[in-house]
Amino acid sequence: MITLSEYFMTILITCMIVNLGLALYGVFFKPNLIKKIIALTILGDTANTFALIIGYRMWVAGVPSRPPVFTEWRSNNPLLLFVFTKTAVDPLPQALVLTAIVIGLAVTLFLVFLTLQAWKIYRSVDMRDIRRLKG
Amino acid sequence: MAWNIPELVTGAVVPLLAVFAFTLPLLAKIFGEKKFPGIWSLIASVVAAVMSTYIFTVVWSTGKDIVYGFGGWPPPIGISYEVDPFNAVIAVFTAWIMVLITIYSLWYNRHFDEPEWYYILLIGLEAGMLGCLYTGDAFNLFVMIEVLGISAYALVAYHKNRGEAIEAAIKYGIIGATATTLYFIGLVIIYGVYGTLNMGQLSLLSAEIYYRRPDLIASIGVATLLAVSLALWVFTYKSALFPNHFWLPDAHPEAPTPVSAALSGLVVNIGVYAVARFMYTIFGPASTIAPYYRDAVLTALFIMGFAGAFIGAIMMMAQKDLKRLLAYSTVSHTGLLYMALAIGMSGVPQAAVALGLAAMTYHVLTHGLGKALLFMSSGVFIDSAGTRDLDGLAGVGRKYPLVSASFIIGFLSLMGLLPLGGFFSKLMLYQAFMDAGMLIPALAVIVVSAISVLGYAKAMYSVVFATPIKEHREIKLHGIHYMLALMAVGLILLGVLYPWISQGLVHVANSSLIGSGVREYQEAFVRAFHALLGR
Repeated sequence: MITLSEYFMTILITCMIVNLGLALYGVFFKPNLIKKIIALTILGDTANTFALIIGYRMWVAGVPSRPPVFTEWRSNNPLLLFVFTKTAVDPLPQALVLTAIVIGLAVTLFLVFLTLQAWKIYRSVDMRDIRRLKG
Repeated sequence: MAWNIPELVTGAVVPLLAVFAFTLPLLAKIFGEKKFPGIWSLIASVVAAVMSTYIFTVVWSTGKDIVYGFGGWPPPIGISYEVDPFNAVIAVFTAWIMVLITIYSLWYNRHFDEPEWYYILLIGLEAGMLGCLYTGDAFNLFVMIEVLGISAYALVAYHKNRGEAIEAAIKYGIIGATATTLYFIGLVIIYGVYGTLNMGQLSLLSAEIYYRRPDLIASIGVATLLAVSLALWVFTYKSALFPNHFWLPDAHPEAPTPVSAALSGLVVNIGVYAVARFMYTIFGPASTIAPYYRDAVLTALFIMGFAGAFIGAIMMMAQKDLKRLLAYSTVSHTGLLYMALAIGMSGVPQAAVALGLAAMTYHVLTHGLGKALLFMSSGVFIDSAGTRDLDGLAGVGRKYPLVSASFIIGFLSLMGLLPLGGFFSKLMLYQAFMDAGMLIPALAVIVVSAISVLGYAKAMYSVVFATPIKEHREIKLHGIHYMLALMAVGLILLGVLYPWISQGLVHVANSSLIGSGVREYQEAFVRAFHALLGR
């Protein structure tokens, strides 16, 4: 008998793997530039989810993890700090994800600009119409 | 506390370049002069070049790696830069070539309708490259690859009203962004396995597991192999290794000529550097992926390198466009670089590995300088003839004797003719393979060089020696031909000074990438960790 959290975790990981495959398929095989960019953002989101899952640690069985924000620092009680370090999730992947999201925004914006420019020149965003170079 | 000048300089290079880049549009508005952005960018690149030269002299003379932790955080906690002789050499080379490229851009200025955006991106490209080289943090490498990447995509698309430029940038950008995202996934796996992203600590942990807990290698090795494979894609993509070379021949003809010089001469080296960092410093011969997985990865790199060298040399013969021809030559030479990089398999004597890596660094220098020279001088010819087509360029070189002489010296160096740098780097590579007992790779180097001669001869013949079929336009050189001649002299010096350079580079390889060099990389990390904690 699996618990509810295990059930959701399994769904999450399955979705992530499916998303990864779909996104890579979309980036490489969809001819439409907008769809390529959407696939790219899905890929980025999948990577970010993956980072968060790596950072999510169930330290003690049965005790839910908590956000990595230590609010009781005024009390000066080492026990609270001990409990905190034993139950909080890892904050570093969240910092990585934050950076990755910002970078992803910049890249997506740039690619959208290129797509707009391609539309202005070719009146199409389909790679099959745009293809002039030999490769 | 006492200021540690070398550390501060190391930490300051990239942020300073960013400041130069982002103050540019405001200052350009204030001064309103069309030449201003170029001069500002020249100042930025000279400052970066002087700083990187200073860093190199310090690392070279003390024999100790420089570690700078940003914000005063000790290395594994904060982001840190770590400079050893290997990345110091490549950074000095990159920074000085960027100075030359910026000077050339000033000459090329009339092609730019909005020079401030061009120069921001050029400084951004330099910041990205130096950041990739100096960083000692695998995640910071990801960020810097994106900085480098966005600048490079945008520079390729600089002539934004030309359909081909947009198409080349889209191709380059979408696959590049995908590859970088996969590198991020690889990093997450590495973090999940090792709990750190600092290169020094990763190297240390990986060696500790190899020596102390061999029972863990079976499980950790597979995960590490997966992460390394994901990571290598973006590096080989940036350095246009076959089969990831498809963007390069498209991007070059459409990009402004100085950008082609930077992409072909410098950006490809960054990928090679990052792969060397991963396969030698972090996951070296004594690491969690050694020996079988590491040999497999290096063999794959070798095969792709050989295929790239071979196909690039063949494709060069079929090209009608001068810049495309040079682009395929880059594909071919990148292949050679990866063949040299793959020498460190298990069972190869360490002296041969050192020689091979020194040959790789040497080839990075000769190829980078030669290719930058060729693109810049071909820019002069293309402007004069008004076409990139080899038939249209016939005989244009006769109008510019000094430029033609430099052009020919560049080609002869890439071809591998005796007194020039290219010959000695290939010779050293051949020697390394012979020392390692790899006969077939040694012969492959010769075969690839022989095939590529045909393509080079074709380009040289039609540009310089063929009879002109039409009258070419005379363009003003404004002294740019002296700079090109200077670069040609540099190529000759790289060849003539072979005994000293090769010794120096073997020392660089020994003190950065193998044996004691890797230990120094790890110890520098530990020293910085203690120094910053104990303050």
